[in-house]
Amino acid sequence: MTANNQSFWKKTAQGVKGFFTDLGKKIADWFRGVPTRWKKRFDSVKTLLSNANGKVMASCFVMGLGQLLYAQWIKGLIYLVVQVAFVLFFVFVGAKGIVGLFTLGTVEGNAWYGVEGDNSVIMLLLGILSVIALVLYIAVYIANIKDAYKIQCIVESFKQPPTFRRELGTLLDKNFYKVALALPILGVCVFCILPIIFMILIAFTNYGGKTVPPRLVDWVGLENFGKILTLSDFAPTFFKIFGWNILWAVLSTFINYFAGLGLALLLNRKCVKGKVFWRLFPILAYAVPGFITLIGFKFMFSYGGPINYYITKAGGNAVGFLDIDAKWPSRIIGLAVNAWLCIPSSMLLATGILSNMNTDLYEAARVDGASSWKQFTKITLPYVLFATMPVLISQFIGNFNNFGIFYFLRGGLYIDGYFLASDTDLLINWLYNMSIDNNYYSIGAAISIVIFVVTSVISLTVYVLSPSYKQEDTYQ
Amino acid sequence: MKRTIPAIAAHIALLVALICCVGLLGNTENTEGVSKFNGELEHNVTLRILENDTAVKQGYLGELLAAFNKQYASYGIKAVDANMDQYTDLANDGPFGYGPDVLYQANDALMKYVDNRHIMPLPTESIDCFDTVGEKSWQAYTRNVEGTDYVFGVPVNVQGPLLYYRKDMLPQNWQTDWDDDGDGICDIVQYWTDMYRYSKQLKQGNEVTADGAKKFGYMRSFLEPYFSVGYLYSYGGYTFGNNNTDPKDIGHSAGESYKGAWVVRQLASVMDERCIDDSVTVTAYSALASGEYFATVTTPDVYTLFVTEMKNRGYSDEYIEENLVTANLPLLPASGDLEDESKGWVESRMMGGIQGYAISSYTKAPNAALAFVNFATSYEMILRRNELLGIVPARTDVASAVGGLSAIINSNLGEGNIVVMPSISEVAQIWTPLQTFFQDLAKDPFRTDGYKYDTVNKIKQKLVEVDEQIYSAIFTLA
Repeated sequence: MTANNQSFWKKTAQGVKGFFTDLGKKIADWFRGVPTRWKKRFDSVKTLLSNANGKVMASCFVMGLGQLLYAQWIKGLIYLVVQVAFVLFFVFVGAKGIVGLFTLGTVEGNAWYGVEGDNSVIMLLLGILSVIALVLYIAVYIANIKDAYKIQCIVESFKQPPTFRRELGTLLDKNFYKVALALPILGVCVFCILPIIFMILIAFTNYGGKTVPPRLVDWVGLENFGKILTLSDFAPTFFKIFGWNILWAVLSTFINYFAGLGLALLLNRKCVKGKVFWRLFPILAYAVPGFITLIGFKFMFSYGGPINYYITKAGGNAVGFLDIDAKWPSRIIGLAVNAWLCIPSSMLLATGILSNMNTDLYEAARVDGASSWKQFTKITLPYVLFATMPVLISQFIGNFNNFGIFYFLRGGLYIDGYFLASDTDLLINWLYNMSIDNNYYSIGAAISIVIFVVTSVISLTVYVLSPSYKQEDTYQ
Repeated sequence: MKRTIPAIAAHIALLVALICCVGLLGNTENTEGVSKFNGELEHNVTLRILENDTAVKQGYLGELLAAFNKQYASYGIKAVDANMDQYTDLANDGPFGYGPDVLYQANDALMKYVDNRHIMPLPTESIDCFDTVGEKSWQAYTRNVEGTDYVFGVPVNVQGPLLYYRKDMLPQNWQTDWDDDGDGICDIVQYWTDMYRYSKQLKQGNEVTADGAKKFGYMRSFLEPYFSVGYLYSYGGYTFGNNNTDPKDIGHSAGESYKGAWVVRQLASVMDERCIDDSVTVTAYSALASGEYFATVTTPDVYTLFVTEMKNRGYSDEYIEENLVTANLPLLPASGDLEDESKGWVESRMMGGIQGYAISSYTKAPNAALAFVNFATSYEMILRRNELLGIVPARTDVASAVGGLSAIINSNLGEGNIVVMPSISEVAQIWTPLQTFFQDLAKDPFRTDGYKYDTVNKIKQKLVEVDEQIYSAIFTLA
């Protein structure tokens, strides 16, 4: 091992160690502060509950009642409407939703006789929605009590409580962030958190196979995760695909990123004539829809495709580039095709960043006698890496979950030693085979969670160790 | 504080009481009903009919709907095109009221809906075509549910592979050199052994077409199990036991099915590597038209595609009719060796399918839907369907009347030479393992670094592994 290599690994090890030490300290500090924060919060609640007058108590009983008694009509009515809406929601939907979240249904449907029955999946969704609604209601209820108490304090200090218009003005001015964020938060709850929680919960049920509505789904605890790790058919496939998936993600991200950067640097050189013309080709490749390109490449490498046509015309034997025996050729073709699809975007990104580079730095480096390689490693690369690290991470995640490449190039194969998968499938392809082709939704959800954990840990670690995080102020 | 907490508790109690009393206890119990087919037609209803794309494009559906609507106008019953994808999934759409009322699909696609009761058992005795459809066709739509046999679809069209070949590409001396049995029909299209020999001869001969493409004899991609698994069936293999209803009994390795696998390997050796992937399937129509391929095997419904390709190359209708021939599949050698005719012959068995109508369990007008199915499967409509779409009728009376291919395929079905695709949902798990196996097997003659399947034992072992793989796909996570 060379001295440079040793230094690199030492620095990396120190970086990782430093990150985890910092993280550990932050977590410990946070936990140390918990008793103090809770005591403070408890004291304020205790003060509120002890000093609350009858009108505040009225708000505790019926939302908005205290505000109405203080003649805060509009606010009081809003709180009251929220309570009525909540009650109506829970009477018609929410209560059944919460109960359904635990039972996942009790009556099995029978369409032959018009028995509608319970749809476990819908019940699960409604249950999650009801829990979110309940949490939101509790938050509004607490705000209602705090507001009533605040009015009480203002009145007791012989001041006039603010009018609704004034409070609205404050809300739109000093607390504008609350107004601005209210709708997005609601949207995030419904369109983001709800599906994520749904997917996570599916991993703990037996949903899939023949157990799909109208049949009733049940909770099975950690059984699906157990299957991934212990089933003799399943576990070896998982680890084989997982290993290849990591290798694929690292290699493809590396190739796409550095080839894109290299192309951008090449086309950025003054000596290159007709830059626009040359830049057009990768952009054309980028502009063609990905799956069309993939189908095209599949045809090119097939036995009846042009590559084999010319090989056989030249007297050679046709080559099975993507067939059953072609594990590594297929993987390499996958990497190359992915590079064809992704390098243009990396090139465009790098071109934009390079156009903002300070040319004085290079001038100074040249004066100091730095070689072109030195200039690249010490000026260009750190700058580009700093600016593009979040994109690089998203590319890594995109490549980790790259479904299309092997689905289109080499789908429809189950190779010996793999359970419902081939030796080029990534976890996402395997997930598809199981959840879409074979209906094993719950196992698919369990694998999704594993993918999520892996990509999150890798992405976070890389990001925290990157200059984009550690030296945020350097280039600002 | 003493008064505030009770107020909060009262708030919670009030909410819980309201929710429990009105929300939960108000829940009504579902009660079981009775069969929906009571013989009384629903009035003023619209039926959504899902047909296949060919029937829509060729105008058959339009004719059918017009005729039905005219006949049932007095009841206010109107049938319309469901205007959905022909492979739409009733399980996803039906329960929410979006699916069709009547569906036309293949038996494996329709019968998967039985598991969760998405299609209804039909009172088949009340359907006019009941006695005219063969038992094998009805079997494809029959399932035992909780101890009782129910029929869930009405068969319309029998699908089974046929041999397509170019008569003008037969050897000129076939009457003297290729008609050993002296029946006036060239042995090449009667016996797989002769087809193999002729194909080998063509491959070694290095003849080329006018386009400069090398000529081949029999060409067919082995990638599609639908067309390949029949070789295993011919020697005693089967997909599921108990008439394709028992998924625990998987039998591609049963009997002497290894002989069928050996036939596949031998046939692959007289083709080229394009039989390993789907290249042959893609080019079959134009390659047969150009004379690059002498023969192939495919379904009857694509006959017009071959005709179109030949017309594009300037052949007249009369010439095409004379020289583009469809025939029953050749006989296989009992020995399983295409170079050995000494032990006699066995019939070629192939996988087939039965397309038919089923009624959604979510239809609001089951009796009207049944009336539509009855109308669409009447003698006149099936005959018209045959004329327009070239289907092979499952109604034996229509098949006899039109003769030709229809009669051959119905006869094959009756004799068990067309093995209908299993009608249980587990059939979904057989395709990829079989596809992988046939791809592997077809590649074997072209391997330069040692064969994988050059002995009977190796093939037998692999077939057992394929069965185990299918079993594992069905049951490991079930």
